[in-house]
Amino acid sequence: MVTPLQVDPTAVANGINNVWVLMVTFLIFFMQPGFALLESGQVRAKNVGNVLMKNMSDWFLGTIIYFVVGAGVVGVAGALTSGGGISGAFAHISDPNAWIGWLFGAVFAMTAATIVSGAVAERMNFDAYVLFTIVMTAIIYPVVVGFTWGGGLLSAGGYIGSALGAGYLDFAGATVVHMCGGIAGLVAAKLVGARKGRYDANGNSQPIPGHSMLLAVLGTFILAFGWYGFNVGTQATILAVGDDGSLTFMGAALGRVALVTTLGMSAGGAMAMLTSARYQGKPDPLWTANGLLAGLVAVTGAVPHVTWWGGALLGGLGGFLVLPAFRFTVDTLKVDDVCGVFAVHGVAGAVGTALIPIFAVGGFAINQFALQVVGVVVIALWTVVASAIVLYVLDAAVGLRVTEEEETEGLDEGEHGVSVYPEFVPNERRESTVATDGGELRTDGGELRTDDGAALDDLADGGTEVSSDE
Amino acid sequence: MSDSADTDIKMVVAYIRPDKLGDVKQSLAEAGAPSLTVTNVSGRGSQPAKKGQWRGEEYTVDLHQKVKVECVVADIPAQDVVDAIQAGANTGEPGDGKIFVLPVESAHQIRTGTTGPDAV
Repeated sequence: MVTPLQVDPTAVANGINNVWVLMVTFLIFFMQPGFALLESGQVRAKNVGNVLMKNMSDWFLGTIIYFVVGAGVVGVAGALTSGGGISGAFAHISDPNAWIGWLFGAVFAMTAATIVSGAVAERMNFDAYVLFTIVMTAIIYPVVVGFTWGGGLLSAGGYIGSALGAGYLDFAGATVVHMCGGIAGLVAAKLVGARKGRYDANGNSQPIPGHSMLLAVLGTFILAFGWYGFNVGTQATILAVGDDGSLTFMGAALGRVALVTTLGMSAGGAMAMLTSARYQGKPDPLWTANGLLAGLVAVTGAVPHVTWWGGALLGGLGGFLVLPAFRFTVDTLKVDDVCGVFAVHGVAGAVGTALIPIFAVGGFAINQFALQVVGVVVIALWTVVASAIVLYVLDAAVGLRVTEEEETEGLDEGEHGVSVYPEFVPNERRESTVATDGGELRTDGGELRTDDGAALDDLADGGTEVSSDE
Repeated sequence: MSDSADTDIKMVVAYIRPDKLGDVKQSLAEAGAPSLTVTNVSGRGSQPAKKGQWRGEEYTVDLHQKVKVECVVADIPAQDVVDAIQAGANTGEPGDGKIFVLPVESAHQIRTGTTGPDAV
């Protein structure tokens, strides 16, 4: 006779489910280096350090802001648009049992924030960017979460959701995270303006090739790896506890999200490859990489809700749209979206989420379809309006753009005083008063310091002024 | 030791296709002049410009990737070196490159301080 398990099944399920959530949280965190590589590869070598600083700032400032402010704003936005009370909005701050869930939410918030940096690369003022990313994680993104996952406006209990008799479907955040980031990026790229030389005198776009296709594609694969945490991990329940205390493994639900994520990604990459080959004559690695990500974005909201072939079609559609959507952004809207974040995250997120009911496992429902379209529009409108207001304020306060001279020189030198790829660095420091680069050597006494050769710092840049108080 | 301008030291400078470097090294070694210095360079000559593409937008690449080969010789006739490089680098297509021969005023070996043809 088998002895019954002498443990509380709820504790077992909670333990396993929470460890699973933590594991996928760490996977989603790993999307950050993916974004850093993807964006670095698509900019010129002189701006790589600035892209890396933006990606790091998104993470380390965003997590603090999201804990103290953002996660509370989710509750407030949710309650205010569904007739609920806001008293518990900030309860997570003092409740240790809420912290695993908070961290799981935070890695999604930082993904939304970091998408923006790819759109505004190579010319946005670093101070303005940092301030924007703070508002993004404190208000813009949390309000979208409040409208949807937070039980607000678009959810079944929210004002719009209950009016249409349905709850907005966006499983892991195709619109909540990706479209929000992609549209905020589009608005920011528009308001910051195009990079110098991006358009000629007639307004025709001129290519500015990035410095490493290798980094971009490697970043894409790392992002795709982390994306399994993003999509499959949102199926946060592995073991479900029945009323009778029985444990059920949610294998079918996990399998569907894992499969549809994979098929969507693959169809997206394949369609982008075919589109680029048709348009340019040869299959292009960067378009293919973008298409793979667009395929992932397109199914991110849909994975548990659609059939496997529906997921493949959605992913393929996202990948197909990348090239035309990017050309539309650049050639028609005249917005210099450096990494194509609007095409990859905005368009694919909107289309993939709006079309969920068409491929729904449970069949088509017109009110659900109406809510999906309304939901996409509401999230897009909120993001455009909120981003534009914040950016106009920042433009007036600190200026959105670096100077023309700094843009030419590169933001690495101008914003951060570094070179990511330094060459011919002297390997030792010498006691010498000889300037080897034609800098003027002062012999009139007084100004020239001889303390461990520091005077050379002043001379090394060819300047003729040597000030002792510098 | 002489360091006047009328030594017989010559520098042979060649600009070749990067993928022909292996052949050029081989033919130089066979000609008895294995020492060389190479640099990655870009340049243009008779080879037609090609198109690059970034996100569906074309741009012109009119500076082609080449390898610059420098050989300094004293005992071996410079013409042998030129012939070896030409034999190794020739494909018959525009863009095979150029070879120049320059007189060398003096030569000095850093390790030993030897000067003149012996330093080469």
